Amino acid sequence: MHTHDTHEQHGHGESELGNRYISEHYYYVDIAPYPTTPWGKFSRALKRTLRGELFVGLWVVLREMFKFDIHTVQYPKEKLLVGPRYRAVHAMQRLFESGTERCIGCGLCEKICISNCIRMETRLDEKSRKEVSEYTINLGRCIFCGYCAEVCPELAIVHGPRYENVSEQRAHYIDYAGMLTPIDMAISGEQKEFDGFGAVTPHEDARVKQTPLAY
Amino acid sequence: MSIHFTIDGRSVSAKRGESILQVARREGIYIPTMCYLPKTTPNASCRMCVVEVEGVSGFVLSCNTPPVEGATIRTDSTALFKERQNIMKLYNVNHPLQCGVCDKSGECDLQNKTLEFEVSEQSFATKEQKRKNKKWGVLSYDPYLCIMCEKCTAVCNQVVGSEALYIKPGGYKSEIDNHYSRCIQCGECISVCPVGAMASTDFEYTANVWELRKIPSACAHCSSACNLNYEVKEIGIDSGKGEQKIYRVTNEADHDALCGAGRFGYDFENRVSCKDERAFAKVLKAFKEAKTIRFSSMITNEEAYLLQQLKERHGYRLINPEARVYQKFLRAFSSVSGVSLYGGDLKRVAQSDYAIVMGCAVSSDNPMVRFALARAVNNNKAYVGLFHPIEEEGLRNIVTQHLKHEVGSEEALMALLCDAFVPSEVKKSHVSFFESLDVGYICGESSVGEEEIERLVRQRVRKKAPVLVLGADLYAHPRADNIAKMAGLLERFGGFEVVIVPSDTNTMGVALICDLDDEALSPVIGYNAQGDCVLSALGGSDLDMPALNQQEGTFTTVDKEVVPLNAALPYHGYELSDIANALGIVLKHVIDLTCKLPKEKGYKEVAFDDLPNRYLNHGVQIRGYMLEPLHVSCEENIGVIADIQEYNGTILYRCNPISQFNLFTDKTHQINDRAVILGSSQFAEAAKIKSGEEVRFVIDGRAMSRKFQVSSKLKGTVAYHPDFDSFEKSAAYRYQKVTFERV
Ligand code: SF4
Ligand code: SF4
Ligand code: SF4
Ligand code: SF4
Ligand code: SF4
Ligand code: FES
Repeated sequence: MHTHDTHEQHGHGESELGNRYISEHYYYVDIAPYPTTPWGKFSRALKRTLRGELFVGLWVVLREMFKFDIHTVQYPKEKLLVGPRYRAVHAMQRLFESGTERCIGCGLCEKICISNCIRMETRLDEKSRKEVSEYTINLGRCIFCGYCAEVCPELAIVHGPRYENVSEQRAHYIDYAGMLTPIDMAISGEQKEFDGFGAVTPHEDARVKQTPLAY
Repeated sequence: MSIHFTIDGRSVSAKRGESILQVARREGIYIPTMCYLPKTTPNASCRMCVVEVEGVSGFVLSCNTPPVEGATIRTDSTALFKERQNIMKLYNVNHPLQCGVCDKSGECDLQNKTLEFEVSEQSFATKEQKRKNKKWGVLSYDPYLCIMCEKCTAVCNQVVGSEALYIKPGGYKSEIDNHYSRCIQCGECISVCPVGAMASTDFEYTANVWELRKIPSACAHCSSACNLNYEVKEIGIDSGKGEQKIYRVTNEADHDALCGAGRFGYDFENRVSCKDERAFAKVLKAFKEAKTIRFSSMITNEEAYLLQQLKERHGYRLINPEARVYQKFLRAFSSVSGVSLYGGDLKRVAQSDYAIVMGCAVSSDNPMVRFALARAVNNNKAYVGLFHPIEEEGLRNIVTQHLKHEVGSEEALMALLCDAFVPSEVKKSHVSFFESLDVGYICGESSVGEEEIERLVRQRVRKKAPVLVLGADLYAHPRADNIAKMAGLLERFGGFEVVIVPSDTNTMGVALICDLDDEALSPVIGYNAQGDCVLSALGGSDLDMPALNQQEGTFTTVDKEVVPLNAALPYHGYELSDIANALGIVLKHVIDLTCKLPKEKGYKEVAFDDLPNRYLNHGVQIRGYMLEPLHVSCEENIGVIADIQEYNGTILYRCNPISQFNLFTDKTHQINDRAVILGSSQFAEAAKIKSGEEVRFVIDGRAMSRKFQVSSKLKGTVAYHPDFDSFEKSAAYRYQKVTFERV
């Protein structure tokens, strides 16, 4: 009942909010009062030591071992599939078929990045288009919030599934070339459209409106 | 006489001539606009500024409508919002959806107002036209992005006075075009363009604007010391190294202007990696032996003050010939005007309705003189009379009357002005001077006709704000002293406000702060000037010094203001203050000296950090402080004018190309004028040379060789001879006779 009391003491709104997360069939565990005297504490320790709870745990492990039905993933031999919305190390996409880089250098990812870890430089390329000349993400600072992928108007920067980030350096950078889909993969169609964070949602087609054109 | 009315329930009052919008801005009440540019007359083409006036049906354009007494005005309502939303919808017709790759993104009026008025889709379209992107030197124009607000044409005509930009009409097809030969590449049109249509060729796509850090400072290239922002960012992605560069220069374009040098000539910094102790020790030794410090006026007030302190303590002679002649000129002027400073400034010139200009290369000496005159002509229909031996095609729209005179006759012409404008009671105290004037002789020798002078004089009748602008031709004139005194007379009694345009960035500051000497004694230390031991902000000298975009300090401007200069880029080497410290003048920062500048010269005791630098909503600039004009004792002896010397044969005029002032502008990557002699074809014929030929000659005791080029924009028999490519500045009369020798 101890916990319940503290709940009562809070303001009305907050206790309601707290209750939202408590299902109906939950109940409070009756916890015996903590010993306060030295003797009480000593006898509690003695009881716990002699009750042999440790062996209960050991037995469970032993039992499961002999069942040969182990759920442990044999990492790194086995890897779990991550969900599409998992936010791991970034990748830079290309357009299908043409293989043109999708990133237009708009700088929105650099602007929105909450930990200020994207830096980029742009320039005018030979075709008078804006081109990203340098681009880097400091993964030592990135918190993988996904804002960059979400804000990107071109679906260029995405979070790939690569979650292994072992590095010998505290500041671990990746640059543009390292993130970019190799061009042959893009042309051969091996690049996967990203359907995670920041991607277009499946029903988007219905919501898109055409820009009026008068030709 | 003011007009009282209410805007959004607030009672306000307007001065005569103010529009509703101007009053609203002054009062901090927001009215959206798309085509309004405060420094020009309203274009009234966008209709965004509409407001509701009680009792008036329909909407009223606030930008060009003056309020009436007792009116009740609303700036916002559902109907107004709808109206403005519809306008924004129309602006967005066919506008390319390319904010992601537009230089203006993040500071674009169209972007801002499209969001403000909640236009979330393009609802209309029209047949797209085939148009071509244009490149005009520093300008890149994208007609697809252009919203035809006409700000660029307005500024080019009314502020710059070039009339280069114009509208090529054709309904939806209309676009902006450029008479490129008239364009002076000032970039004013870029700065006022509300969208990305008129962009800087150099800046294009090099940085997203919100990544740039703005450092408000003062331009270092001429005596206007215009207010500008250096915009800096790290170089490259490896920001750990922290090396920065200036990406571009912007300014408060609604209210203020910049010339091409200020806008595009920013990368003159001197990059040094560390303090060079060996060089420093060597230079200190040189200082201990030196007898003279020669320096240029590309210097802050504080450093000039430091040099003066060094002089007082160690007895150095201070040599700066260019500032010296200015100093003498100003003193001679004051000795008759009775006030330590001249009375006018460029703001007064812009507001004037009658201007006489003498001895000044209007476009290139100080471009803001040209801009101020252009504004005067466009805003007040000012009458501008220019006395100059060379006719310049580019000033066609600014100069009403060109009084083309013979080289060397400035003194006599000034005397004619005195004769015309000084009242007769005053003339009595200068009897010998006025009686000796021989108008016929002067007109004959100067080849300015009597009727030309008469016309100029007649035009002054009923003008309310006449100004007289004097330039650097006069300061080194053989008769400078007397010219200055006559100018003093004109200011005191002739009803003119005079502006004596300082010839270099801080000539005024140097002239006021330093006791300059005439003769150098060797050995000489040169600070951005020639000497036996040279300290230079251009590098490659005995000791590197910070350039003016790497220093803090103040300048004294043509407007007699003390304005702050902030460092855009860091400097890692030694500065003048380190030398002063080693020579026994203890100070921590140069800017500690700002409050110590001499009060007896008009400076005030204001600390550097207390110098304001901002604009009020309605465009009033609050920047630094004004020098205090002080009374000085008058003497009244004006000398009898000398005979007019004849300058025949091949005459060169020391004058730099527009925007190319000195070695610093020359160092910047966007200003590329080369040092050639420019003359008319008439000059080429007389001097018997052809365009492209190299000639050798001796000028002012210096042997030189230069290429000659014919310019179609010039007329007459005097050619331009630049001196921006050298530290050695001559303080001789700007016109010199030379003999060409073909190489
Ligand atoms: S995931 Fe978040 S923190 Fe990481 S780069 Fe993107 S915006 Fe920055
Ligand atoms: S938001 Fe996308 S398109 Fe824009 S710079 Fe970043 S990656 Fe490139
Ligand atoms: S750069 Fe200056 S002169 Fe040239 S078009 Fe623009 S405003 Fe006019
Ligand atoms: S170029 Fe810019 S300033 Fe000129 S009309 Fe077009 S939008 Fe207006
Ligand atoms: S050079 Fe002179 S006119 Fe041009 S921006 Fe600089 S201070 Fe202003
Ligand atoms: S601001 Fe008044 S019409 Fe454009």
